[in-house]
Amino acid sequence: MTSSVIKIDPKLDLVLEREIDVPVELVWEAWTSPEHLRHWFAPKPWTITACEIDLRPGGTVNFTMRSPEGQEFPATHCYLEVSPFERLIMTDTLLGGYRPSPQPFFTAVLELAKNGSGTRYKAIAIHGNDEARKKHEEMGFHDGWGTVVKQMVEYIKAGRMRP
Amino acid sequence: MTPQAGGFEPQGRVSPAIIDGVFRALSDPTRRDVLDRLSAHSASVSDLAATYDMALPSFVEHLKVLERSGLVRSHKVGRVRTYELVPKQLRMAENWLARQRNLWERRLDQLDSYLMKMKQERKK
Repeated sequence: MTSSVIKIDPKLDLVLEREIDVPVELVWEAWTSPEHLRHWFAPKPWTITACEIDLRPGGTVNFTMRSPEGQEFPATHCYLEVSPFERLIMTDTLLGGYRPSPQPFFTAVLELAKNGSGTRYKAIAIHGNDEARKKHEEMGFHDGWGTVVKQMVEYIKAGRMRP
Repeated sequence: MTPQAGGFEPQGRVSPAIIDGVFRALSDPTRRDVLDRLSAHSASVSDLAATYDMALPSFVEHLKVLERSGLVRSHKVGRVRTYELVPKQLRMAENWLARQRNLWERRLDQLDSYLMKMKQERKK
């Protein structure tokens, strides 16, 4: 089991578990085919304008995220494990063919299990340390909240109010 | 309305429900604007409401969402209710892991509704 290899650090990592009444084959398809992935992978109002998938270990998913302001951010994730209907592992710490990436940030593990007629799935996001995170944010990755939160916190730090 | 005070667990972890509340509160332009104004100084409901072109009950609903998130708190003196910002809760939104969690929750929400749609279409 991959889970036994992964040591979750609560300061750096996220574990999300869900159950859905949809067959496991469909969940796998939504994660692994470009025409489906582009419909849900970017948090709205962000969109995905281009998506290509080479589904095999060492292969990549290449996609372009577009901000509501129209700025585009291309990204590449390398697949580490592709076990149909069971497990998918991808990372942005590597490019295609396992070449090291200049902006390493996270590894995502998706584990699927049949649950009656539905599916139970677990998504684990494993992140690098603080340095990697800072570099990642400086290089322009946005999660859709950066600007809003930054403005708010700047007001607080500017001492315009009592603490 | 009782604000969900704190929200920090040992080791600086923040509970997902608190995070959801904060990001939901921040997801609306009117509410962000109210926070912006409260960051300058506290204000009464009527002062706050005066600048928006919406019915008072709708505006009060925005204030309730903000208060439930713990981003603001209010107190009443006589007939005047005054709101102020709770900076600690806003700093939590600055926490990068909380933002990553919010990103993944939203992503998986979209996945689940997309999957339900796929399932419906396959049935046809």
